[in-house]
Amino acid sequence: MPADDLSASTAARNAPEERLLNLVVALMATDQGLTKDTILGSVSGYREQGEAGASKDALEKMFERDKESLRALGVPIETIGDRLEPDDLRQARYRVPTSEYALPDEITFTPEEIAVLNLAAGVWGEASLSADARSGLRKIGSLGITVDEPIIGYAPRISLHEGSFAPLQRAIEQCRVATFPYLKPGDETPRTRRIRPLALAEYEGRWHVYGIDTEIERERTFLLARIVGAVKVTRESFDARLREGAGERALAGLEELARRQSALLEVHPGTEAALRLHRRGAPALQGIRVPFVDVHIFADELASYGPEVRVVEPPALRDEVRRRLRAALEVNGEADR
Amino acid sequence: MTPGARPVLATERAALMLQLVPYLIGKGEVSVSEAAADFDVAPAQMRAMVEKLTVIGRPGEGGYWQMANDLFDIDWDLLDEHDRISLTNAVGLEHAPRLTAREAAALLAGLQLARSLPGVGDSGVISGLLAKLALGASSAPADLIVAPEPVDGVRGRVDEALHRGVAVSFTYKAPDAPATTRTVDPVKVHIADGQWYLQGWCHLRQAMRTFHLDRVRDLALTDIAITHGEEQPPALFDMGETGNLVRIRFPAAVAPLLRGYLDRAQEVATTGEVSVASIRVADPTSLKRLAAGRGGDVEILEPSGAREAAADWARAALDQYTDAGGRGRGVDDPSTAEG
Repeated sequence: MPADDLSASTAARNAPEERLLNLVVALMATDQGLTKDTILGSVSGYREQGEAGASKDALEKMFERDKESLRALGVPIETIGDRLEPDDLRQARYRVPTSEYALPDEITFTPEEIAVLNLAAGVWGEASLSADARSGLRKIGSLGITVDEPIIGYAPRISLHEGSFAPLQRAIEQCRVATFPYLKPGDETPRTRRIRPLALAEYEGRWHVYGIDTEIERERTFLLARIVGAVKVTRESFDARLREGAGERALAGLEELARRQSALLEVHPGTEAALRLHRRGAPALQGIRVPFVDVHIFADELASYGPEVRVVEPPALRDEVRRRLRAALEVNGEADR
Repeated sequence: MTPGARPVLATERAALMLQLVPYLIGKGEVSVSEAAADFDVAPAQMRAMVEKLTVIGRPGEGGYWQMANDLFDIDWDLLDEHDRISLTNAVGLEHAPRLTAREAAALLAGLQLARSLPGVGDSGVISGLLAKLALGASSAPADLIVAPEPVDGVRGRVDEALHRGVAVSFTYKAPDAPATTRTVDPVKVHIADGQWYLQGWCHLRQAMRTFHLDRVRDLALTDIAITHGEEQPPALFDMGETGNLVRIRFPAAVAPLLRGYLDRAQEVATTGEVSVASIRVADPTSLKRLAAGRGGDVEILEPSGAREAAADWARAALDQYTDAGGRGRGVDDPSTAEG
């Protein structure tokens, strides 16, 4: 660690965030850009450490790390190479163009829009995305907009219990291939899947990741609840253009599934099953027809209704429901059964 | 990210300070406590950030140290004596930074859920905001999609009652209970996991209650002005100390699927791969639905009445299928979500 080379007092006086901010100020104040030597010799934070005896090598490494940190914060650091020697970064100049750093002037928000954004920022509850949403709101808020009456009476929440969500979101942002162990219902052991993740979609209260399975080069949708281990974000990247419109394609795929497959159910009127299924179904000759996306998840729900519902078709769904009921009876029945 | 690691914290502080300058310019003058609340930090942290700002500035020219007007400065008397912040010199960073991909994604997903609220989705506000956020992001946010839900008659009428401040009356059919007619002062609509719940003051029970909107029928607006709208609603599904204790046994691996129940558990003990949980529920026999839905993963240990109810429930359901169908596996069925 280069920071260990420094005397404690110098390090204490120059907290890393001070150096980062001094760097942003310096890079925004220049139009032509600053060379690395100029930065290390003049920007407060590097300069003191140089004078305290830190090696050039250590300072350069620190500068590289700082650039990465700032880029991760969304600060656009532009590298202007030497036109004659574009590969020689020794003479490269660095700058932060204000037009790319700042929220564009033409984006303005009405008080009504701010009220809706406040509601939208609240959906994450305690999830880590809540901090991101609040931070985004603050940036918009500093544009100096008066705020409308808040929208009252609603508390919409998106729950995020799956640990796989955050790494998958990062993989999408960075256009990186990801792998994860995936357990299909009925399988004994999980199988490692490898995908180019393109979008995350919540459908009927469950999160799915949509992407291209690299093994078969086809688009696939996976339930996050069935990812049973750590998601690994690999170093292999993919073309960002694959992500264009991916969210809509993911949603269309799930809706298409629901259109294609439906169950014919006999439901006893006035029961919990009737109330819950009625909203989603359409009356049919013999009972009601309810579309579904996943046979196993729907079978879980239908089995819970017990004698309130009978599955007429499809047979696969009927068999899954009966299998659950038999197992529940076996486990909770008397010893002699 | 690893919270607690020093470099991450420094980066986070830098991110906050980039937002602090345009915030302070916009406010003109603001108390330390208000700024701290707006930035989700403690007042002492806000004060430290503001003080730190005054050592930040443009680099010195030609080997000289920075001059005072090259640095940010604040009104120190105002801070020391009145705990208020006022920027007296700014040397850059006046503009609000663009949103990061994650910030934009978090707001975009929230907007999609907000779109399903009556009166919000159809106003055109959402589509305008989606476009503006996409423009204001420093890099393309990951697509986080929330499937839209149709607004039905019940949801629309609840919205109207909330706005007019009148009670609603409806028929409510809780599982395994007879239908009742309720009059309720609506307080809040909760949306969680795609389910809609109305929380309000129930005239029948003389208490705050939560109603699943799928179980509500024949909802009508009354002329009764609400009288309990100001009360602080309890947390959703708060059972308090009431209810009966049930003990269930299940494979530890399926715990995430039982989340809704285990959130209310008094105690969960795991030995090896098996867990036993004690849960308070209003009606222990209601766990028959959980047991049937989890297909043998959940065994009800106590009380025996609940265990018998679960067995009877599954048996009665199986009795509906008189034909001797084969044992279905459906493992590689094309109808699984995994395409």
